[in-house]
Amino acid sequence: MKIKNIISVFICAIALWSCNDAIDIEQPGRLGPEQAFQNVEDLNSGILGVYNIYDTSPEVQFNAVFTDELSIGFDNGGQGLGNGEYGFLLNAASSAPAQQWLTYHAALNAVNRVIEGASFITPDADEQSRYNNILGQAYALRAFAHFQIITYFSTDYTDDNALAGFLVDFVPTADQFLPRSTNGEVFTLINEDLTTAANLLTDEDNATFVSQDFVTALNARIAAYRQQYAQAITAADELLAKYDLPTRDEYIDVFLDASNAGIIFKLERTIGDDHDRQAQTGSGFGAGWVGANFAFVDGTIDGSPYFEIGRSLFNEIDPADVRYDVLVNETSLISPNYQTTADFRRDDILVVGKYPGNEKPLLNDLKIFRIAEMLLIKAEALAAQGNINGAANSTAALIKELRDARFGSPQPLPVYTDQQEAFGDILDERRIEFAFEGHRWKDLKRLGVRGNRRIERDPLDCEVNDACILEPTDFRFTMPIPLTELNANPNIRDQQNPGYN
Amino acid sequence: MRTKFSGILTLFLAFVVQLTFAQEKTVSGTVTDDKGLPLPGVNVLIKNTSQGTQTDFDGNYTINANRGAVITFSYVGFETVEKIVGDGNTVNAQLIPAAAELEEVIIQAYGTTTRATSNISVSVVSSDDIVNRPNANAIQTLSGQVAGLNITAATGQPGAPPTVRIRGVGSINGDVDPLYVIDGIPTDANAFRSLNPNNIASVSVLKDAGGTAIYGNRGANGVIIITTNKGSFNSALKMNYTGIVQFSNLQENDYDLMSSQEQLTIERDLNRGRGAGLSDAEIAQAGTTDWFDYFFRTGVTQSHNLSLSSGSENVRQFSSIAYFDQEGILDNSDLKRFNIQSNIDGKSENDRFNYGLNLGVNFSRSNEPNGIGGTGINRNFVLGAYQSVPYISPNDYIDGAALLSPLSFANTPLFLIDLQETFSRVEDEIQILGSFNASYEIVDGLTAKVDLTAELRDEKRVTVEGPTSFNALLFAQGKDPSGTITQNSNRQFSFNQVTSLNYNKTFGKNTFDIGVFTEYFKAHYENFGFTQEGLTPSTFSPRDGAGFIPDNPDNDFYVDTVFADALNAGLFSYFSRVDYDYDTRFGFTGTIRRDASYRFSDTNRWGTFYSVSGRWNIGNEDFMANSGFDALKLRASYGTTGNQRISSNLLIPGIYFDAADLPRDLYGTGGGYGALNSTFQTQIGNPTLEWETTTQLNVGLDFEVFQRKLRGSVDYYRKTTSDLFLGTPISALTAVFDPNETLNSVNEQRFITDLNTNTGEFRNSGVDLSLSYDVLRSSDPEGFNFTLDFVGNYNKQEIIDLPTEDGQILQGISTSLREGGLLGEYFTYRYAGVNQDNGNLLFFTADGELTETPDVDNDRVFLDKNIYPDFEGGFGFKVSYKGFFATTQFRYVIGVDRFDFDLQGFQDPTAIGQFRSSVDLLNAWTPDNTNTDIPSLTASNLALGVNSDRYLTSSDFVRLRFAQIGYQFPEKYLQGTGFSNVRIFANGENLFTITDWRGFDAEVFNVNGQLQSNLYPTPRIISIGFELGF
Repeated sequence: MKIKNIISVFICAIALWSCNDAIDIEQPGRLGPEQAFQNVEDLNSGILGVYNIYDTSPEVQFNAVFTDELSIGFDNGGQGLGNGEYGFLLNAASSAPAQQWLTYHAALNAVNRVIEGASFITPDADEQSRYNNILGQAYALRAFAHFQIITYFSTDYTDDNALAGFLVDFVPTADQFLPRSTNGEVFTLINEDLTTAANLLTDEDNATFVSQDFVTALNARIAAYRQQYAQAITAADELLAKYDLPTRDEYIDVFLDASNAGIIFKLERTIGDDHDRQAQTGSGFGAGWVGANFAFVDGTIDGSPYFEIGRSLFNEIDPADVRYDVLVNETSLISPNYQTTADFRRDDILVVGKYPGNEKPLLNDLKIFRIAEMLLIKAEALAAQGNINGAANSTAALIKELRDARFGSPQPLPVYTDQQEAFGDILDERRIEFAFEGHRWKDLKRLGVRGNRRIERDPLDCEVNDACILEPTDFRFTMPIPLTELNANPNIRDQQNPGYN
Repeated sequence: MRTKFSGILTLFLAFVVQLTFAQEKTVSGTVTDDKGLPLPGVNVLIKNTSQGTQTDFDGNYTINANRGAVITFSYVGFETVEKIVGDGNTVNAQLIPAAAELEEVIIQAYGTTTRATSNISVSVVSSDDIVNRPNANAIQTLSGQVAGLNITAATGQPGAPPTVRIRGVGSINGDVDPLYVIDGIPTDANAFRSLNPNNIASVSVLKDAGGTAIYGNRGANGVIIITTNKGSFNSALKMNYTGIVQFSNLQENDYDLMSSQEQLTIERDLNRGRGAGLSDAEIAQAGTTDWFDYFFRTGVTQSHNLSLSSGSENVRQFSSIAYFDQEGILDNSDLKRFNIQSNIDGKSENDRFNYGLNLGVNFSRSNEPNGIGGTGINRNFVLGAYQSVPYISPNDYIDGAALLSPLSFANTPLFLIDLQETFSRVEDEIQILGSFNASYEIVDGLTAKVDLTAELRDEKRVTVEGPTSFNALLFAQGKDPSGTITQNSNRQFSFNQVTSLNYNKTFGKNTFDIGVFTEYFKAHYENFGFTQEGLTPSTFSPRDGAGFIPDNPDNDFYVDTVFADALNAGLFSYFSRVDYDYDTRFGFTGTIRRDASYRFSDTNRWGTFYSVSGRWNIGNEDFMANSGFDALKLRASYGTTGNQRISSNLLIPGIYFDAADLPRDLYGTGGGYGALNSTFQTQIGNPTLEWETTTQLNVGLDFEVFQRKLRGSVDYYRKTTSDLFLGTPISALTAVFDPNETLNSVNEQRFITDLNTNTGEFRNSGVDLSLSYDVLRSSDPEGFNFTLDFVGNYNKQEIIDLPTEDGQILQGISTSLREGGLLGEYFTYRYAGVNQDNGNLLFFTADGELTETPDVDNDRVFLDKNIYPDFEGGFGFKVSYKGFFATTQFRYVIGVDRFDFDLQGFQDPTAIGQFRSSVDLLNAWTPDNTNTDIPSLTASNLALGVNSDRYLTSSDFVRLRFAQIGYQFPEKYLQGTGFSNVRIFANGENLFTITDWRGFDAEVFNVNGQLQSNLYPTPRIISIGFELGF
């Protein structure tokens, strides 16, 4: 290309400026992949970036809107309606499946980059334990993300041949298109990761960072979901021996983020972080202040609640239960004869009280593992093993233990006629204990048939769209693979979940 | 190559020797019409060269010419006159009506040509059709005046840029704006808010590859070249003043909205809102507020424009100052503008050296409410005007605090009254446009030239939410006192340099013109700002820091946000043009350009773009002598252009700077978990990213017949864009969390799920037609003249290739694509009407079966409709008699379909009690009213209607876009008054519209958010003005 060069030289010579000055531009403030992780401090910075992706606020939103946890509020401007989840509408184009699928796969992408980055770093002796702890958190977070995907997208948690999400233990490239792995394959990796994590983690417990207790709690939950109840009891017992159920006062403080009593792990939310925003209200992309999933402004009746507590849930909560105080905001307008009142929507306003906000309205930490869950996992395990009644080491005994703590006074010991009734009661207790914490849909999926429960809204709550009842056997208790994935990935198109084709 | 160059060199050495004895000199003169009145704007051209000028306001001109050269004088509506330069230095000309349109000077890329010798598809709009128009934005004025130029107002905000598309939308994700070149300064649509339209001398719209390929990397979407006025040599000082006052009003709607009585009655029937439980008497007493009247107003505009021009032997100047102050029809929206323009050019005694210096200094201040088009009932004034219930009165407003409890949607108008009182968003812009050019004729015919241009735009925006405002209190988030001030300052500087060498030579009937060029472009962008949290009410004043509340140790409520951004951009190119003419009968032009962009990786940076074009002036052939054709020219062009502007977002940082380094994998640092500093992946790079390439074929015919009474041109084009910038969907496997994804973006999710790639192909093909017909043409200038004009464009879009295997990308209602389909084709399930048995809505399944419960995913189908027109253009007439003149200009658009979500709101039964309804709802289905197209107010599947095609409506329209009547005082009345020119006129814009669209404005839509409703409509404008010349 000699002639071209000559021309270039000629042309640049008559211009006042050099050619390359205009086209070789390095934009200010850019960080390339090679420079991202060079030492342990960078790794720590990287793991904080990984945590940032984990967000259960959209799960809180979906589990509440799609089930019988809430109803349309008097200040509703269409949120949840139309194509929204309140009408039991769920399809590949819905926002909720996209949010779950993307959140946890993006988390896997990020965490694998930190794990890979760590492999190129040889820490000094005095950094070794910090390095280990970071890597331990990474493996545990990888296990958690893999498991979360299974909980939303696998048809059956107990079937190792059912399909999960992707198995990702490498740094992916943009031209990779994987098929779904099976639950069995993914659970194998999860178990390996949790074992690795337990060996590396230096924190025994830590409310806002992954610790050994996080690993144990995750093991307990996974075992319960897979109905491997012997393991579930072992793990739950380990934590029950260590954490007390909070007192009634502590329980209230837990949801004001003023106490960590009974908290095994929660995601911290604070002013100025990436989740400190209102987000898309009423959407399955419900990322942002967790309380903004229910109200525009704050957690009181004047905070423009566009969703309220579902009447069918409210009717189950005893005002003497401390959970009533937490769940039902004190400014609520409760109509004693709500079924006959002139304007039900306006005369009976049940404001969600669980997320009043701590540092600012509607901004609360996201509770992931609480000791009450371990207790109820054990109760479920005992029921599955047939130990449903009796004053000790039975489902009934554990349910009573929990209620005693919540009511602050001894409650009657339940007596179950059969296993189904015990499962039903566990499900009812979970409904109240974990209301608006992102469990209801998953609990109905795995326990609904065994406990003879389903989504059942108060008739007045579902007058707006006739979406009142959904059986736990419905295909919509598994999310569809979202359109974003189907559009991109030819290897997944014949792996859509049943009911969505 | 080298040998050839030296060959040329030898050639002109000989040439110089030959012509050394030729005497070049400055010729000047005055051009008048047949009544002796001076004619401004006459094209003065040295025949067989590209050297030309125009007469000034007084008909004076100056040009360099050799003795014996032929000067042609041409002007629209007059016969062309030729004069030979003799011994004297003065050549006057008198033109006789009856025009020779093919002779006019055409300003084209990097030079000029004439209509007859132009091979390209170019439309020229003269200053006559731009000055003194009611639009603050000069580009908006071009709407309906050029075939194939689609200009759509995006908002009624004064000065806001309209959406401009030349021959359809040329890209799916990339920038689709044409390139704007103002006095040689390459710029973008944002340059026009502060620009004074009255300084514009001409606008050339380059449409085909023959015209645009020489702009290479920036030419893919067409080019609009704007020149500003110049003075004249050897002319005394002339002053011209124009003053205009205008009144803008809201256009009408056809929504048929309820009165208070109707609204309260329907609320009572449904037991909702204020109407619940009211007695007949109470309902009858309720007053009705016209919220349109409250939030909209008659906007008053004043415009003053003073220009001064003069010239001596070797220097001439044009200067102007202007003041413009326009109130938008929406309260709280306005634009004030102050302009200074100074254009000076001159030459050496021997005429070999020419230079010019253009300097425009513009300052504007505008109030631009944001949130317009959004769904915020506390943010969108337009929503307040449209949707507010009529029984609430502005007198119900006390203050922001009083609105907090009870917080009721029905108080929407009061929230917005509070917003008017407490919120401001003011943008100041300083724009400096400077250009300098100098040329030197080294030897005869060989000219070296340099053009240095620069644009500086400095914008400051201050957004204030007062501490006592409803919004500040509502979203106080613990702050007491609350309130915020956000100040955002950004500066863009761009520099462009074109260096060229041009050689022009005529051998007998052959004329060659050869140019080689380099172009260097560099631009810098900086943005800085802060948000102050917390303002003390007692000392608070917008734009002042006295009320700022500092951070405290107790909480983080008053931690302020600061932000800064810096970006750089650059381009480098070299290119050449060869032009050949044979006896004005045949012509050929070839261009080739090598371009490099800063955006792409080292290996993909350079692109080569070319064009070939040719013409046959059939009308100049002997056999056409008695054909009845006064002129007939066939032209064809074929070529390629590139687009390196990956982003179409005009907002900051804008198209030059956005998407600056997409080829790279990037990480970033910033707030992560617990707001601690963290490191994360921010971008998946695509190192193979490169130019979009547009290949365009154009065949056209220009003609003048019946003694030039009928003039016109017709063009067929086929424009194919390949290697489209398209997001190829990627698996969630590689998804990246992007916390900065803006809140209200169409893409609500905070993840990057596609990779920017070059993939897919897209085509626009169509026909442009322009016609003018002189129905009556008098040789007496005071006689009766009547001309009809028509411009039209038919454009067909087709997606040819998409990256997915099944040729479809299924996303939202307006963002899905299919091969063979339209761009932005609507994709949703179809509404079938009302089930007359139960009042529910009926829909079609994908297979066309009726259902009440469509599958909202799988029953969606492509609807073969979109928001872009199939046919569009304008027509009108110009008439003059004695001193009177009148102009009309209609605009029509056919084939545009939009969702009328405003109507959806008015017909939404669930909104009753909170918002305003249409009388349509009184005809809702009931067991007794079964033959209706309005579903039951309690239909169980109402919500499904919203996203079906129920509200997809044609917004085709014909509109009287502009009309003018006026009177020019004949010179005989002005003698002795000191005035040389007195003219009075009245203008009207958007005087009436014929459309099925029920809203205020069939035209306005937001091309970036086409499902938005509650937009700011364009106004109807009446203005009167006068022009005085001294």
